[in-house]
Amino acid sequence: MCYLCDQYGDQQYGNGLWYMNPYNYARNMYKLRLPGEVYKGPEAGIETGEFERTGPTQDDLFAAIEKGDATEVDNIIKALDARSRQSGTPGQVLPLKDALAVLDLMTCIGLIACLCRKGVRAIDERNEHEYTCMGMGVGMLKWERWPERYKGGVKFVNPEEAQEWTREMDRRGFCHILMLFGAPFIGGFCQCDYPDCMALRNAVDLGIGTLKSHYVAQVDYDICNGCGICASRCQWGALKFEATTRKASIDQFKCYGCGLCETGCPRGAITLIERVNLPALAEVW
Amino acid sequence: MCYLCDEYGNPEFGGGIWYLNPYNYSRNMYKLRLPGEGHKGVEASPETGESTGPTTADLLNLIEKDDREGFDRLVKQMDEGMRQGGGGQVLPLKDAEKVMDLCSPIGLIACLCRKNWRAVDERSENEYTCMGMGVGMLKWERWPERYKGGCKFVNHEEAKEWLRELDRKGFCHCLMMFGAPYIGGFCQCDFPDCNLIRWAVDFGFGVLKSHYVAQVDYDACNGCGICASRCQWGALKFEVTTKKASIDAFKCYGCGVCETGCPRKAIELIDRKSLPALAEVW
Amino acid sequence: MTMPRRLPEMVLGRKFPKITIDQEKCTVPFLCKKCLQICPEAVFHVTRVMKYEKRLEEMDPRIDGYFVLHATRRDRCTVCNRCIDVCPVDAIKIEV
Repeated sequence: MCYLCDQYGDQQYGNGLWYMNPYNYARNMYKLRLPGEVYKGPEAGIETGEFERTGPTQDDLFAAIEKGDATEVDNIIKALDARSRQSGTPGQVLPLKDALAVLDLMTCIGLIACLCRKGVRAIDERNEHEYTCMGMGVGMLKWERWPERYKGGVKFVNPEEAQEWTREMDRRGFCHILMLFGAPFIGGFCQCDYPDCMALRNAVDLGIGTLKSHYVAQVDYDICNGCGICASRCQWGALKFEATTRKASIDQFKCYGCGLCETGCPRGAITLIERVNLPALAEVW
Repeated sequence: MCYLCDEYGNPEFGGGIWYLNPYNYSRNMYKLRLPGEGHKGVEASPETGESTGPTTADLLNLIEKDDREGFDRLVKQMDEGMRQGGGGQVLPLKDAEKVMDLCSPIGLIACLCRKNWRAVDERSENEYTCMGMGVGMLKWERWPERYKGGCKFVNHEEAKEWLRELDRKGFCHCLMMFGAPYIGGFCQCDFPDCNLIRWAVDFGFGVLKSHYVAQVDYDACNGCGICASRCQWGALKFEVTTKKASIDAFKCYGCGVCETGCPRKAIELIDRKSLPALAEVW
Repeated sequence: MTMPRRLPEMVLGRKFPKITIDQEKCTVPFLCKKCLQICPEAVFHVTRVMKYEKRLEEMDPRIDGYFVLHATRRDRCTVCNRCIDVCPVDAIKIEV
């Protein structure tokens, strides 16, 4: 299983899937900050770009590419990946059915403005009809501490409303990525597309950060009628439309198992199968 | 310009583009084979897999051994090997049609890649998805296994018609040389059965990107998504936030099937050299 | 196999364009949003001036509401110049 399941899963709950372990949805409301300790993590506004960082930065990566130093480039990418796992933030992709399941485990759930869309496309989501992001857990109860982050406020919803909203996001074509805020505490549910979402950008461009889901998509060639709708939904570059056979062609190594192709297929020709059932993919995260 | 233009282009013809240089469409009918010289190049049938250089299996071994440097070196080597043997480049439909006016004879034949990877046995002129050109085609009977079903010779107009039909179906056009600079074949490719696209997308070597790059006009794009299903190179995504096609210009091979597929003409192929950052990205 | 993935088109040795943004001219990037939304490669990105979250009464809207424009992903800039064409204050310069 993925490292998050190894570390934070519990066999008693949901077959050991880390996000089905209810204990990961709870944490202390307050954390003691010792004198001299600076703002770290989510308290230092994520939007500002002022994040406490050690190790190589993106500029280091660019410098290495410009120099043409292949080993250096690979080392930096590895270091960036390791660091993102330590912070825990870019969690894991979840297909719709698992997303609906986890919404039953958490409270409180608040719909909020998306930070990535704001930073990259300057989209200012100001009311509940526009929100494309979700925060959860006790931290949400103190949202007023971060007035800039939650401009427009927070729309608290019950699990049914949250599931309805998630279905709508899926219908529109956004992937669902469950995010950690100080592993193992689950704090956010991003609704992502390429290229505005940071998680997708790093995953598709560099192969780091976000874990693939516990599933992989497969096409049933007998049912597929070649309509091509799935090809326009894949945000990961894993799905091509093979002109020779006139069927969807899924590259299972690139597939992140988000399930957008499955939910978009009008004929039910695509299914998500469990990653552990395909030996070659069992450790491809 | 790309190395093919540098080496085989002529500024007098088609702005120096190598495939618009008529001299690259002709060669001697016979080549003297000296005693002791074995079958080489296209005479050793590509179908058999009997090659003398490194193969994909060698690449896979290096990946398994986690030897990054070795892998990079081998990719470079295989790229060089392809260039020496021939190599090729992606062409959009408009340039493909120009090429049809320059070559002769033109023969429609069965596709080798589709045969090897998808066991598709193209036996008649209605099924052929490959094209061979030049004087070599006149001796097609020497390779009966390669040209099972025969060879359908066509004139320039029929050839253009055929290209347009395959473009409509979503196949990319890759012009191939057989012993540079002699242009001998015009592959109609898709992913994953075509070796060219497979090597390019999976490993990053082989066929050159075209002299063009696709760009979307966000005002004209209505978000229908047809283009996303046509791209065989993984360069086109549908950005949900803006509801428009999003083309990654670095991944784009400039084949133009997105452009020809767009019902609103929202996509345009522009010259690669007009975008400074892409001018040397081949 | 755990090789870090490096995309084939990441051409090593390629020099990236230098993108300079005149911060004196680009004062309200978030309200303008033109370059952010037109760039096909999503090169640009805005960050907030206010470093730390402050309580509601401590915020000064003249300062804390501002954003700063950066060209974060200049490795993806193709120099198509759409951003320069669309910028109403001529704040962007690209050097190859």
